Amino acid sequence: MKKPLLSLVNLNKYFGDFHVLRDISFDIEKGEFLTLLGPSGCGKTTLLRCISGLESIDSGDILLNGESIKDLAPNRRNVNTVFQNYALFPHLNVYDNICYGPRVKRTLTEEQLKEKVREALDLVQMSGYENRMPHQLSGGQRQRIAIARALINQPDILLLDEPLGALDLRLRKHMQAELLQLQKVTGTTFVYVTHDQDEALNMSDRIVVINQGEVQQLGTPLDIYNNPKNLFVAEFIGDRNILEVDVLEWAEGSAKVGLGSQVVQIGNGRHQLYAGERAVLAVHKDKMRISCTPVPNALVTEALSIHYAGSQIRIELAVVHETEAGRERITVILYQQGDCECRPGDTVWVSWDADGAVLLPLEPGWQGRVLV
Amino acid sequence: MKALRQNALAIPILIWFGLLVGIPLVYVVVVSFLSRDDLGNIVWQFTLDNYRRILDPVYLRVFVNSFMLAFLTGLVTLLIGYPVAYITSKLDPKRRSLAIGLIILPFWISSLLRTYGWVILLGNWGIINNVLMALGLVDQPLQMMYRFGTTLVGTAYMLIPFMIIAVYNSVDKLDKSLLEASYDLGASKRQTFLRVVLPLTIPGIAGGFTLVFMPALGLYFISDLLGGGQTVFLGNLIHTLVNRGRNRPLAAAFSVGMIVMVILVVSIYSRLTKNQKEGLLL
Repeated sequence: MKKPLLSLVNLNKYFGDFHVLRDISFDIEKGEFLTLLGPSGCGKTTLLRCISGLESIDSGDILLNGESIKDLAPNRRNVNTVFQNYALFPHLNVYDNICYGPRVKRTLTEEQLKEKVREALDLVQMSGYENRMPHQLSGGQRQRIAIARALINQPDILLLDEPLGALDLRLRKHMQAELLQLQKVTGTTFVYVTHDQDEALNMSDRIVVINQGEVQQLGTPLDIYNNPKNLFVAEFIGDRNILEVDVLEWAEGSAKVGLGSQVVQIGNGRHQLYAGERAVLAVHKDKMRISCTPVPNALVTEALSIHYAGSQIRIELAVVHETEAGRERITVILYQQGDCECRPGDTVWVSWDADGAVLLPLEPGWQGRVLV
Repeated sequence: MKALRQNALAIPILIWFGLLVGIPLVYVVVVSFLSRDDLGNIVWQFTLDNYRRILDPVYLRVFVNSFMLAFLTGLVTLLIGYPVAYITSKLDPKRRSLAIGLIILPFWISSLLRTYGWVILLGNWGIINNVLMALGLVDQPLQMMYRFGTTLVGTAYMLIPFMIIAVYNSVDKLDKSLLEASYDLGASKRQTFLRVVLPLTIPGIAGGFTLVFMPALGLYFISDLLGGGQTVFLGNLIHTLVNRGRNRPLAAAFSVGMIVMVILVVSIYSRLTKNQKEGLLL
C-alpha cells in the first residue's frame, strides 16, 4: 500500500479547558486537494495551524512522509501556509517578499533566485510586479503573491486558510478556478480550509467535514453531498428538508417510514435502524417533485406559497396530518414548472428521486424540525 | 468660505499655538540678532555678533557635549528600552497594564526630587558607597558623582519611559500573522526579529529617539546636580547666560542653535518613517 504523505493520528488539542480538536485521525495523500470544511469555530483553522506548527498539539502525532513532525518548530517543517489576511511583509516589495523563504533558509543563490521568482510570478500571472509594495496591490493580487511566496519553497503541503474569504464573489469564483489550475500544474498537495460548502464541493478531491473539533465525515464531494453520514453533515451540506419519522420496517436496501399517518417506502438502507425507532429523513430540496394527482410513495401536502426566483421555483408545502398542530414544512425547488401548477391551498403529492433521500439515526436533543 | 467653516474648529488651537509657541519663538529669534548694553539690557541694534560668538571653538565644544549627551541618552534608552517594551508587549493583558503602570509611575514624582535621589544613591557618602565600604570592598568612596557618565545615567533614567512607550506602541501594533508567516517560511526567531520585527518598528525607534533626544538637549538641572558643572551643556549655558551672565541675546543665539539641532533630528525622523507609514496603514 502507498504510504500517505501526511498522517494525523489521534490528535487532541485544548485551549485551556476547551477541547478544540478531538481525536482527529486521517491521512492526506500526495497530490490531492483536501478541504477542511466546517462552521466557524469548529477547529478547522486550529487543525491547519497544528499541521504548520504554529500551534502545538496536546496528544497524538503528525507524520509527514512517515516521520513525526509534531515536535518540530514551524520553520523546520516543509509545509507552507497562505494566511487568511495574506500576511505579506509590508516593508518588502513583491520580489523580496517572494524571496523571503529561500533567503532565510539560504537554499538558493541570488542568481538562482531571480530565475525562480520569475517562474513563480509567471505561475500566478503577476509578472512585472516585482517592484510593487504590498499596499499597492489589490486583494486578489496580494493573494497571488502570498501563494507565490509559499510555493517557491516547494513545500510538501500547501496550507490555505480561507484564502478567498476576503474577496468579492466574482473574484472568488475566478480565483477558485485559478487555484485548481495551479494545484494541477504544480502537483502540490493542497490542504484548504473553508466554511463555504460550494467552494469545498467545487474544488476538492476529498472533503473532511469537521464540527466541534471532531471529524464528521471524510469523502469525495459527491459522497459527502449524497450520502451524509450523520445529521450534522446532512444539515450542513446541501439544502435539505429534514423530517422526523417513525421507522416501520427496515431491511438492507429498503425501509418503510411513517410521518404521522402517512407511510412511504424509501430505497435507502445505509444506516442500521430498527422498526419502532425514531429517525430523520433528509431529502435534497431540488431532488423533489410535485404532482397534482396521487402518485405512489408520496407525501400528501398542502401548498402554502409559490415563489419565482429567476431560474428556480420555490414551493412551500405543509405535510397534511389529521390534526392541524405540528405540520412539517417542506420546501421544493423546481427548475421547470412541470405539469402541476398548484395554487396556495391546493393538495399536492410530493415524491423524490431515490438517490436524493437518506434515512439517518435521530440524534438526542436535535431541534431542527421546521414546522409551519 | 466653505473651507473656512470646515477649519473653524482649528482656530482656537491655532491661536493657542500662536500665542504660546509662535510668539516666544519669534521673540527668541529676534533677540538673537540684537545687542545688549553693559547692564545686560537689550539694545535694538542689529548684529551678527552673537552668532559669531557661538561658533567660537570654546562654545562649539558645548554643542558637541550636548549633542553627545543627547545622542548617547537616545542610544542607552534604546538599548534598555527596546527589550523592555518588547517583553512588555508579549505579557498577558493583566501583567501588561501592571508593567506599563510601573513604567509610568515615576512621572508622579517631581523629576527634581528623583534627581536628588540619584545624589543620595551615588554620592561620596551615599548609599552605594556606604554599603561598599561597610562590606570592605573599597577603602575610599568611589567617585561616582560629577562625571559625564553620571549625567548620562540621570538623563537616560529620566527620559527612558518615552522610549519604552514609543517602542511599545509600535511593537504592539505589529501584525502577529507577519511573525507567523516568517516562521512558516523557514525563518528562526532571530531571523524573524532582524528581518521583520526590527524593520517594522523603526518608526517607534525613531519616534522614541526623537522624544528622548529633544529634551536631553535642554535638561539642565540633571547636569547641574549630577554633573556638577564639570561638563558644560547647552541647557546649563543658556540658563547661566540668562540668569547670571545677563546676556540674553547670546542665550537666544544658543537657543536658535539648539532648535536647529532639533529640526535636524526631526527631519531625519520623518524621513525614516515616511516610507514605512504608507505600508503600515494597510
